[in-house]
Amino acid sequence: MSRFDTFFQTLGNTLDDWFLAPPFLWLLGLIPVVILLYLLKLRRTEVIIASTLLWLKSLQDLTANAPFQRLRRNLLLLLQILVILLVAAALARPFFRQEGTAGRNLCLLIDRSASMSSREGDTTRLELAKQCALEMIREMEKGDKVMLVTFAENSDVLCELTDDRPRLRAAVEGIEPSDTRTRLRDAILVARSLKLSVADLHVVVIGDGKIRDLPEIGTRAFDLTYLQIGETSANAGIVAFSMRDPLEGQDDEQQQTFALVHNASSDPLDTTLTLSFEDTVLAVEEVHVPPGDDSELVFRHPELGRGILRAELDVDDALAVDNSALLAVQPIARIKVLLVAEPDGTSSYFLQRVLVPDPRVELSTLAPTDYTESSEYDLTIFDSFAPASLPTGTLLYINAVPPMDGVGVEGTVEHPAIISVDSEHPMMRFNLNPSNVGIREALRLVVPPDTRSLVSTVGSPLVADVSRGGQQILIIGFDIAASDWPLHLSYPLFFQNLLAWVPRVALASEASTIAGQSFAIMPDPERTSVSVTRPDSSVDAVDLDPLRPVFYANTEQTGVYAVAYGDAVLFHAVNLLDRTESAVAPAESLSIGRAEIAPERGRVRQNRELWRWLVVAALAILTLEWTIYCRRAWI
Amino acid sequence: MSPETTTEPAAYSLLDADFLRRLERLAILAKRVQLGHIKGERKSRRKGSSVEFADYRDYVQGDDLRHVDWNIFGRLDALYLKLFQEQEDLTVHLLIDASRSMAFGKPGKLAFAAKLAAAIGYIGLVGYDRVSVEAFSESGIFRLPAVRGKGAARELFAFLDGLGAQGRTGLEQSCRSYILRNRSKGIAVLLSDFLDPSGFEGALRRLSQSRCDLFAVQVLSRDELDPQVTGDLKLLDSETGEFTEISVSPSLLRRYRENVGGFCDAVRAFCMARDIGYVLAPSDTPFEELILDMLRAGGMIR
Repeated sequence: MSRFDTFFQTLGNTLDDWFLAPPFLWLLGLIPVVILLYLLKLRRTEVIIASTLLWLKSLQDLTANAPFQRLRRNLLLLLQILVILLVAAALARPFFRQEGTAGRNLCLLIDRSASMSSREGDTTRLELAKQCALEMIREMEKGDKVMLVTFAENSDVLCELTDDRPRLRAAVEGIEPSDTRTRLRDAILVARSLKLSVADLHVVVIGDGKIRDLPEIGTRAFDLTYLQIGETSANAGIVAFSMRDPLEGQDDEQQQTFALVHNASSDPLDTTLTLSFEDTVLAVEEVHVPPGDDSELVFRHPELGRGILRAELDVDDALAVDNSALLAVQPIARIKVLLVAEPDGTSSYFLQRVLVPDPRVELSTLAPTDYTESSEYDLTIFDSFAPASLPTGTLLYINAVPPMDGVGVEGTVEHPAIISVDSEHPMMRFNLNPSNVGIREALRLVVPPDTRSLVSTVGSPLVADVSRGGQQILIIGFDIAASDWPLHLSYPLFFQNLLAWVPRVALASEASTIAGQSFAIMPDPERTSVSVTRPDSSVDAVDLDPLRPVFYANTEQTGVYAVAYGDAVLFHAVNLLDRTESAVAPAESLSIGRAEIAPERGRVRQNRELWRWLVVAALAILTLEWTIYCRRAWI
Repeated sequence: MSPETTTEPAAYSLLDADFLRRLERLAILAKRVQLGHIKGERKSRRKGSSVEFADYRDYVQGDDLRHVDWNIFGRLDALYLKLFQEQEDLTVHLLIDASRSMAFGKPGKLAFAAKLAAAIGYIGLVGYDRVSVEAFSESGIFRLPAVRGKGAARELFAFLDGLGAQGRTGLEQSCRSYILRNRSKGIAVLLSDFLDPSGFEGALRRLSQSRCDLFAVQVLSRDELDPQVTGDLKLLDSETGEFTEISVSPSLLRRYRENVGGFCDAVRAFCMARDIGYVLAPSDTPFEELILDMLRAGGMIR
């Protein structure tokens, strides 16, 4: 870098300390132009006098002939230059920093995410943040209003813009810590929309700046203050924890558990990680992690069955919540499938061939004549048969149509050519492409206009998704036995997708949920509500929907959530598992859009802008200049 | 510079009734005073030598009838004046600078100088002195040959009234030629602004070589003494055509006034060193006042 670059960089930094919009200072380039114009346009009044003898002598005494001597004496020009200076300075928005937030409307965005629970001395960051907020509320002047928003995984407006100080204080004191990740976007959107109506609103983010979604906040410039809370960086935590079932075909048939430990402090970490299942310790392993690095641990153990698997890092650091991680180990989810088909039919054979090998499937087979409606099946497949009413669960009609409004059959199609495939549908995953399947004869299906056709021929669908009201219903409009589909790769893939589409499989297979996100509670035909016992032993009653899963989102606390279906209890593990939160060192700046917002500490200092005064001064000088120009009484 | 400073004719003609009336008053006042009474020895010599006959000359209208030789009138039926040798044959030389620079000021410096010359000349004529006028510039000389007697006043006024300012100043050259041509004793009054690029000293030095009593009347306009100008100006010299650009500032004006004062002081000092009477005559001074007060203060009239 040349000396000039260094110079300009230093100059730029200095200007940034004084001006919010330094590029406008280029307007100062007008000054030489004005001087030049002045010199060029300086029209002298010609006066004939008796003799210039005495004037010449006087000029020689003064050497006033030099151009700059002339300028020095010209008040109008000086005033014009002054006006340019003031206008350029005003446009560049000079400011000075002033402590305190008095005299402004504030929107306080308070971080209450997991990292805010970090210990700072004998208090926590959240307590420090609350003190800062209370201080700002105490400094409110008459007419000032404050809005309170907390943010973690979700944002909550605690108080709309108000000058009710007791209410604001109570709201701040009532802020509880959460164990979740940090997302600021919603809170910023709230502040932005408020700023549309309250122009002088100043947004203050109080927190440690460990925010996951900063890049999503947008590129629009946003004037806010980042009040940095916290100092410590001494923390280590578990940032990933998962279990893998034994791989088929492997000899040892052991389950593998995987844990990733991140050391965010500046010192190496030497400790142990304890893996326990229920109350039994499975393994204790030493962990060595260099500063700022990760260490990966893999445990092998026999299949565990049902229970809570816990990893515990033996360390006493700033943040406690990331020192343990949980997994709710469930037996593999069983899918109860009912196949209603002629027992000796060809299509029944092909269907059983594709369903029976899957370990998840618990297959029952009934002849159409034996069929009675039952709600205990997750998936019912009707082959060339349709009962008069719809049973519960996921339904697949093959070569038949369900008794639904708008669904029917209008004759048949000979050798239908497959002309389009909806590859976006979850049933068509793995690039499933049945276009080369040969079909002898298919039903000409009539479906409601908003139906998604998965596979279509000319004028009618061959495979259609007629799901309604949360119940998943599929129609295959031809007899499998009257086609060569079972001989194609798309056939087993289609049924794999079908099984994965069943909600119990799709939703219940997650052993661990990230704090703040929701987990699904499956419908139970025998109950209308379940009770959820939270890690702090409080109990939530949740109403069930008979047809579809209910999502439980009150998961800000990490730990085990027990969903009790009567005596049967299903466990859900909620973990933090977040590298951003575990690295507790406060962020050095917030980059929102193109702006890099430097932190304030302790007290907020705000920019008091001076441009108004400069504009007033410029106008005053302009008036003065005009007056002088008109009078030219004294120059 | 204020726009009034242009070449303009005299505010009124010298032959104005008003002006003549004022001169008349002045002449009555001047009855009791005589020109050329500065030097004590001259005064005494005139008293003792006024009876010796010297010559006759023709009567001209306006001459005092008491000096007519009535004997000759009886014999020849013609009017002659008796002149006495010992009576001082005093000539009032009026030298007027008529360069272009004299055309400026309000009232014009040349007009003012002409009025002064008329007044001095009239007083001289009333006192039976010969009066000759010469207006000069580099471009030419206008001469009124010596006249005598009150009756020549009209001629004198007409001559002075017709003066115009033109050409550059050539004071020294003009004075030298005048001295060479006029050897008579008397009073020489030089009316000029002395703004000669080549300097005023030469002219006064030449004049001081004559046998006359010398008076320098420096005529300057008020604009020159105390200019009221503002702004950025381009000053054109009326004689040389050279221009000077100035931006008026208080310090420049102060400096100019100092220079004007210094210039006048230099002329005065030069005059004093050579026994030349000096009067500074701003052109806006009432000329009667100037004649009575300033010329007396300058020693020209008792």
